[in-house]
Order: sequence, then structure tokens, then C-alpha cells
Amino acid sequence: MDILTVEGLSKSFGAVRALRDVSLSLRAGEIRAICGENGAGKSTLVKSLMGIFTPDAGSIAIDGVHHTMRSPQQAQALGLGLVAQELSLAPRLSVLDNIWLGSADVPLFHRRRDLRRRARAALEILGAGEWDLDTPVSALSIGQQQLVEVARLLARDARILILDEPTATLTDTEIARILDVLKTLKARGHAILYISHRLGEVFDLCDTVTVLRNGEHVATRQVPDITREQLIELMLGRPFGDMYPAAAAGPDTGDALVVEGLNVAGSVQDLSLVAPRGKILCIAGQIGSGANVVTRALAGLVPGATGRVSVGDKPLRLGSVPHCVARDLLFLSEDRAAEGIFHQRSALENLLAANFSAHTHMGILDWPKLKRIGARLAQRVAIDPRRLAAAAGKLSGGNQQKLLFGRAIERPQPGVLLMNEPTRGIDVGARADIYRIMRELCAHGYALIMTSSDLEEVVGVADIVITMYRGRTVARYQRQSIAMARILADITHPVQAAA
Amino acid sequence: MSQSAEPPLTDRTLAAPAQGQMAARAGEPRNYVGIVRVAVLVILAAVALTTPGFLSQPSILSLLTTVSFIGCVAVGMTLITISGNIMSFALGALVGATAMVFVLAANWGGFAFGLVAGLAFAAVTNALQGFLIGWLRANPIIVSIAALALIYGVAEAFAAHGTIYAATGTSYAGFKGKVAGIPVEFVVFLCVAAVAQFLLSLTTFGRNLFLVGSSFRAAEAIGVHTWRAVTGAYLWAGLFTAPAGIMLAIRYDAASMNYGLGYEYDAIAAVLVGGTVIKGGEGSVLRTLAGAIVIGVIQVVLVLQGLRTEWQYLIAGLIVLGVIALQTPGTRD
Repeated sequence: MDILTVEGLSKSFGAVRALRDVSLSLRAGEIRAICGENGAGKSTLVKSLMGIFTPDAGSIAIDGVHHTMRSPQQAQALGLGLVAQELSLAPRLSVLDNIWLGSADVPLFHRRRDLRRRARAALEILGAGEWDLDTPVSALSIGQQQLVEVARLLARDARILILDEPTATLTDTEIARILDVLKTLKARGHAILYISHRLGEVFDLCDTVTVLRNGEHVATRQVPDITREQLIELMLGRPFGDMYPAAAAGPDTGDALVVEGLNVAGSVQDLSLVAPRGKILCIAGQIGSGANVVTRALAGLVPGATGRVSVGDKPLRLGSVPHCVARDLLFLSEDRAAEGIFHQRSALENLLAANFSAHTHMGILDWPKLKRIGARLAQRVAIDPRRLAAAAGKLSGGNQQKLLFGRAIERPQPGVLLMNEPTRGIDVGARADIYRIMRELCAHGYALIMTSSDLEEVVGVADIVITMYRGRTVARYQRQSIAMARILADITHPVQAAA
Repeated sequence: MSQSAEPPLTDRTLAAPAQGQMAARAGEPRNYVGIVRVAVLVILAAVALTTPGFLSQPSILSLLTTVSFIGCVAVGMTLITISGNIMSFALGALVGATAMVFVLAANWGGFAFGLVAGLAFAAVTNALQGFLIGWLRANPIIVSIAALALIYGVAEAFAAHGTIYAATGTSYAGFKGKVAGIPVEFVVFLCVAAVAQFLLSLTTFGRNLFLVGSSFRAAEAIGVHTWRAVTGAYLWAGLFTAPAGIMLAIRYDAASMNYGLGYEYDAIAAVLVGGTVIKGGEGSVLRTLAGAIVIGVIQVVLVLQGLRTEWQYLIAGLIVLGVIALQTPGTRD
């Protein structure tokens, strides 16, 4: 029998119909992927199931009994559990405390021993039975913290687990562990709704997939019956060309950036690289490999960085962002919310942010010209010009990322783009736009340096790959010799680096 | 790019980007804030108009001068708020200290010298605070409280509780009159407001100020000289605050630290009532102008109703609390 049945669920916010007549059912022991672009209605569906939103219409049944979800507590009592996109742990509290935090089961004077036993049992299911329950959560890695979140649901006897992009911030080994854990839970008869932008995981893990688009149910398929291309086309609602545009076989126009012996205490040791114009150089490494510190250092954001760096044959002094920007080294952070977007400012201002001083008449900003430039930039990065007046914080992650790219194009001369995780948390459609923009920049003579923890992306876009492990370079590959297996081996089992 | 069916680019689609964000933000929580605003304004107008003597010439003139003094400080405060540094509690003390520097310098070297010395003193005192905050990333509230104590301490040493009087024989009569029936103070304030709005809207410095206030780290990452923007905000805040002190000194032919008492609270209230968001990155001088007028009207009404000055602090406190309470749901989304 179906453990969860959703029928005709609808939810509107003002004029926006976030969810329209969505139905789905889930059996025990089934892992169901929910796929769709940003704004497809995935979060609204999850929040309606969890009692955070009250749907306008439709019904939710657990074990065939209809319920009206009024609060998260009620959803929890009915056996639903959510691991949200953002971790919701209290970092200073212990693993044990976090597992029971906010539980309705804990009385004011509770029996620690019983709670310890049940927390331990939950962790054992996840293969983490040996953990010290009294360790503060902040001492754990992000991946381990994710497991604590799952343990929290198990300890409360959740039978239907909802995971909203659980792997977005994890390294590959941590992802592998989470996927293993989910397979174990499936075998124990839990039903799982799995929301992810990473299609590799859908095909690895899930039995069935439901695709949402613009708030509507588009299709539900058995995973073995569908190809990756078909799934992407269902999500996009249009035929999909190649996700990764072919590298332009442009003429060799020299090296934009040469780095020798880059050192950052505690993160990067003796890294050298050459970034040719018109190419995408990808630094692959797990969290802690130092890959993202390399790009930050080259952008002038790391105070103690040393090394011989030259841009267009002239030496560059590290440690000052304005200095690096003046030499056309431009940085795109992986932390879009805190280090990229100016939330309250308009999309137009976000596009122009780095270039105001270039368009003044005797110190006075030339707004008509700035608006024209903004409109052109918006068009080049595929942002609807009607949205230029909207606050950037209101735009989707994909559009925000396009704004950041918009800042980097139309420099007086082609420069070097330093990008950390340029497609993190971005849906398939915007991703394709961003890869296209990257190739256009290459065609204009920019050199692109990026870090990515998404190996599929690395193999898809990179012309050159440098692999890193614990601050050291493991190997370099040119386009023909780039293979996922080799890269994975390099960043996880660094034979050369250890030698 | 060519395959996306976007509407043709016209000037109309791009009209008014800066003002447009107001409309974009008109979500549900903002609506009731708007209703409360209108209701408060209507009540205030009704109370003001039914207060005997409010529409008389002396009370209108007194309203304009009150608004001018509060307004100059509030315009300076606006820059600090926009830059993401919340508020400065030292601006009231700066008003009193500037007045004293002005009188001392004018007594020694003449009116023009006093003017230059007063402005320079305010600019430097504030720029130093801005530098501490922008360069060392010191907490702006703590810095402003420390500055407040320092300014009072030094002033005590100079004047020992006292008032400094303009040298006998000097008279600032020429600066106490009216221009076309409007008090000189108000004309000066309008000039201050115009310069500030010009800086904010039409210069790179102004735009950088909004960026730094919106996200310090993002501004840093695109190569904005963040410390320059913050130092600049405080420096200009000093320059905009100074005229309030100088004008008070001219008005009374004397200066005392008491002159600045409470101005920072009135200015904070004016900024918040105007709708500048406390967390930074948003705001305008026009909003502050409106806020200063509201605060000015309240003060004049209180005086006309015969309430003691102490009540003005109470009212200012209530207004700040009320606006913060109103602002919170709108900004928390």
C-alpha cells in the first residue's frame, strides 16, 4: 500500500500559482526523486507536506488516512521528517542534544539514558554507531552534520524522509556516504523524497522520478526507463541541445596569467599554473584541498598569500583586491549570498557595481549611459530587461549568478575570471546559460579559472584540469586526457602527492 | 541568446530603476506598514492643525528652524546608516563641540576662519571614527560611544561646564535674518540636503556607499575600496552635522556642549521615520527630509501644548521603538 498519497495539491501566493494540482504517491522502500528547475514548485510541495504552508486545495493521506497538515509538529507526529537545504543544527550543542532538539517526546525532566540509547540506535542505522554523543556538532564535518540531521529524523521514528538538496555542500566522499545511508534506509522500508539538482545522484540512487515544472506535475517515470537527456528535457520543457557547449578551437593567443610557487599558509603549497586566453582551467579538489583558496588568493582576497604571479607578462602584487581588479582579475565567489550579490540593490546596479567609476563626466555619473550599458549586459547574460529594476535579492539563484557574470564582461580588455563553484545551487536551464556565457568569454580572449566539486561539470567544461589534494597539486590534464575516474582518484587517493 | 523570445528593448522597460524598487517591494507585510504610516501622518496632521497657534507665523518659523537643526544631523546620520554602520551616537556631541570650536576660532581669527575651523573640526573628528570602523572593522556603535565620551571629556577640559561667548563686539546679525521670508537656517539645511542627495545619487562614492552598506564582503570582492567609502561616509556626516552647531552658535552668540544635547536621538528618529532601513544599503536624503519634518512638527506641537522638554525624549524614544517594530516584519523575508 502507498505510505503517502498526495492528490490535487495547489498553493498560490498572491497571483503566483506556486503549485497546481500536483498528485503523487510513494510506497515504503521507495526513493523518489523530485526534479525541476528553480521555481518549479519543489520547495512549496515540501513545505505543504511538512505543514509549513497550508495548501489551498488538495489532500494528503498517510497510510490511506487523510490529514490536514496544520503544523510541522503534526507532520512530525505522523512520521514525516525533513532535512532542509540549510543545516538546522545548534553548533555548540552536542550530537545528542541536537538529535533531540525540539522533539515533542522530550519531557521537562527527561531520562537521559533512554534518550541516549535511542540516539545511539539511530546513529547505528547510519553506520555511525561509534560516534561520541557528547561531541559538539561544530567539531564534525559538514557531511557528518548532515548525518546528525538524518539521525534526528530516525530517532523520532520518521517513516517518510524528505531530503532537500542534501549534497549541495558536501564533498564527493561525503556524498557517497549519504547515498549509502539512504540505500540502507530504503532497505529498512523507509520512503524517501529526494530533491536534487545533481542528476547523477538521481540515476544512482532513486527508483522513480517526478518532474515538476512551473508548479505543475509533468511526469513520473521509473528511473531505469528514462535517459539523462530525456529527464533534462522534461525539466526544461523544451528539447535540449548539448549542456556543455563545445570548446572553440580558437588560435592560441598567449597566456593571460602565470603563477609560480603560490603559497598560502595552511592551505596551498607551491602551486604553479598557466592560464591561457580562451581556455577554461579547472582546479578540482574536495573541500579542504585548497582549490578555492587558490582562486581567492589570485583575486587578492587572501592577505598572507605569496608567490610569483604575472598578468600579461607584468608582475602582480597579491593581497589587494582593488589592485587585482585594476589588472582585470575578477572574482566570482561560491558564497553568492554573502560575497556576491547586493540584495537590496536593483539588478541594474548589481550589473554595474564594479564599473561605476568608468562612466562619469567630471565626477558625475552618466546614468543614461549606465542604463544603456546595463540593458546590454542584461541581454548578453540572458536576464529579462524588465527585471533590471527588481531588487537582486528577489531573483532566482541562476539569475543572481548571471548578474555576477554580467559584471565581468565588457571590461576594457579581456581579463581573467576566477570562479568558485560557478553553478552551485543553480537549476539546469540557468546552468546551460552560464556555460554558454563562459564559452563566449573564452571567445573574447578571457582566461577562465574555476573550482568545482561537481566532477561531471569539471569533465564537461574544462580544457585543462589541475587536481589538488590537501594543498598540493596532484596532476594536470589537457582536454583529451580528462577522465572522471582519474580526477576522482587524484582528489581522494593522492598517490603522487603522498610520494 | 537569439532563441530566447525577449521583448524588444525600449527605454520604457528601463525607466526609473532606482525608484522602481519601491514598487517591487510592495509585498503583503509592507502594505500594512504603509497603512500605519498614512494613519499616523493623518493623526499627526489633525493634532497639529487643531493645536491653537500651530498655523501662526512664529510657530511655522520655529518649525522650520527646528527641522533645520535636526535635519542637518539627520542627513549626516543617513549616510552612516546607508553605509551599513547603523547609527552614530556621537553626532549630538559633535554639534556642541563644533559650536564651541566655531566660537573660539571666530573670536581669534574672524568669522570666516571660525567657519572653516568648525567644518574642518567636524570632518576630521568624524573621519577618524570612520577610519577606525572602515579600516580596522571596529564596531560602529562602540566607536561612536567612545567618541561621544572623548568629545565630552575634551570639551569639559576646555570649558569646564561653561558656555563660551562670542567676543564682545562681534555680531552675527547678518546671518540671523530671513531669505525671502524663510529662515537662513532652513536655506542652509536645504543646501546640505541637496549636496547629500547629489553625492548619493550621482557620484561613484555614493553608489559605493550603497554597495558597502548592502554587503561589505561583496563590495570588497569586486574591488571597492571599502574603507574609503566608510571613512568618506563619516567625513561627510561630520560636514553635514557641523552647520547645525555653527548655526546654533550664531543664533545664541555663544556655544556650549548642551546645544547638542539630544540631537542624535532626534536625528535617529528622523532617519527611521523617513523609512531608511536600519541594516544599511538603502535610504535617501528625501526620506530623511520627510522624517525630519515629522519630528519637527511633533516637537512644535509638544511645545505649543505646553509639555515640558523632557517629554520630547520620551516621544523620540517611542517613535524609534515604533518604527523599528514596524520595520522588522518588512525586512525579514
